[in-house]
Amino acid sequence: MIKNIFIAALMCAAPAVVAEATPAGVDDAAPVNPELGLRLPAGFKATVFADGVGRVRHIVAASNGWLYGALMRPEKRMGAVALRDADGDGVAEERIFFAKGLKGTGIGIYDGNLYYGTDVSIIRWKLPESGEPKSDPELIAYGFAEKRQHAAKSFAFDGKGGLYVNVGAPSNACMEKMRTKGSPGMDPCPILEEFGGIWKFDAVKQNQQQMKDGMRYATGIRNAVAIDWNTSADSLYVIPHGRDQLGEFFPEFYTPEDSAELPSEEFHKVAEGADMGWPYSYYDHRKGKRMVMPEYGGDGNTESDKGQMPLVGFPGHWAPNDLMFLETDALPEDYRSGAFIGFHGSWNRAPLPQQGYRIAYVPMDKAGNVTGDWITFADGFAGVDVIKSPRDAKHRPMGMAEDASGALYVSSLMSGGRIWKITYAGE
Amino acid sequence: MRANRYLSALVILIGSAVSAEETAQTGKALYDANCGSCHQADGGGVPMLQPELIGRPRANGPKGGVIDMILYGSDAMAENEGDYGNEMPAFAHLTDLEIAKIATYVRTHFENSGGPVTSDDVKPRRAR
Repeated sequence: MIKNIFIAALMCAAPAVVAEATPAGVDDAAPVNPELGLRLPAGFKATVFADGVGRVRHIVAASNGWLYGALMRPEKRMGAVALRDADGDGVAEERIFFAKGLKGTGIGIYDGNLYYGTDVSIIRWKLPESGEPKSDPELIAYGFAEKRQHAAKSFAFDGKGGLYVNVGAPSNACMEKMRTKGSPGMDPCPILEEFGGIWKFDAVKQNQQQMKDGMRYATGIRNAVAIDWNTSADSLYVIPHGRDQLGEFFPEFYTPEDSAELPSEEFHKVAEGADMGWPYSYYDHRKGKRMVMPEYGGDGNTESDKGQMPLVGFPGHWAPNDLMFLETDALPEDYRSGAFIGFHGSWNRAPLPQQGYRIAYVPMDKAGNVTGDWITFADGFAGVDVIKSPRDAKHRPMGMAEDASGALYVSSLMSGGRIWKITYAGE
Repeated sequence: MRANRYLSALVILIGSAVSAEETAQTGKALYDANCGSCHQADGGGVPMLQPELIGRPRANGPKGGVIDMILYGSDAMAENEGDYGNEMPAFAHLTDLEIAKIATYVRTHFENSGGPVTSDDVKPRRAR
């Protein structure tokens, strides 16, 4: 009897363990290869795919064998770069800058087209057989107000004709006076009408105006540069940038340590109509609760009923700049169905050292539920042990991509711009 | 009576000494509290987001350069001056003396040699 129970328990537990195990991640005791500038878990290897590619943001691998990257600042007057490693040695020997006069963050492929997000529009070119696009771009979505703060238009496709665009709030906490101590939050926050959410468009229809043709799919999102569609869970996910300067504006409620750790960087599953809480509330991962934003009467200890609970709350200010779910089965099983999150790294944790500067992995099942604690998949980018100031970091993770063979790519816009190629070589 | 007068004078003296001490924050303390999170304690700024203050023209040129940035924030900048993702708010709510102390700190630190400014330099630059 006892033996039977034991066997039954074993049979129940075994498949779950195989499917949803938390991988080990990087070994903290392992050295960082200084030339490579990154550290990976056992079994993975990397090459510097390209150096000197400029201020590269999001990247995408196309079926034509080229990798495309959006540039936040023009390089040789061009706003995008195309790279190819034809001989398969892990280093791109072909490089073409294109998209004259543009600059942007979002890039992606759908419907045989290469999509690109400037700060004020989403455009697309027919994907060429090779190299840079040859045709004139088509305008898909436009009318996004021109702003400086949080203007990057990152986006995701649902594979069913929907295009989801991040429209960041040009604000820190919707204060009446921008980033000014003592200024209260506007209530209701008028910014949410046109910003601070995800707008859904028809992925292939031309000339869609944001407020006329777009649909506000989700709200309460300060700025979700990191956005992706999880195909197996059939849902959108985001991890927005949390607000800055809690301790600077409210030293009576937040110690420097509180202000470094809060608010959490919140990883969310986003259904239509969802509200992530900004600017009225934030998540405190230490308490496991949503709290009232101090500009709206909070004091660090008052719970809020506004905004949905995140799946995971990461430490504050880590600056998630990309989110990726894999499509291939090239990686070990315990890395296949979860979320890769690229953290650009903080600037707003002083006087404490800056943190983030890594790629995290959140283990999830195929239905999109988190199944264990997050781990670090890649770090060492900064090149220094203690980061007092973000400019001390040699590299900072930015965009991620997966090619048809299952190889991963990671971009950094620092030190002239670099892209790594990461493959799984086995135990 | 005389003793009382002496006492009250002493109280006033002590009182004003304390309050003077309270407001006599150093330029560094004011910088750390108001500027440091964005421009960083070492003046190094944040790549792409907030400018570094090290060896900058405004901190080595005419007295108004830094004062106007503090008073008006990003609005003080010319269209083509810098290329950063974040906007700087105005700090006009600070007193002339506080602004002078911050401007002096920036102009005499971070490898800058613009030299000190006073509250008399700040006052005429308000709400022009």
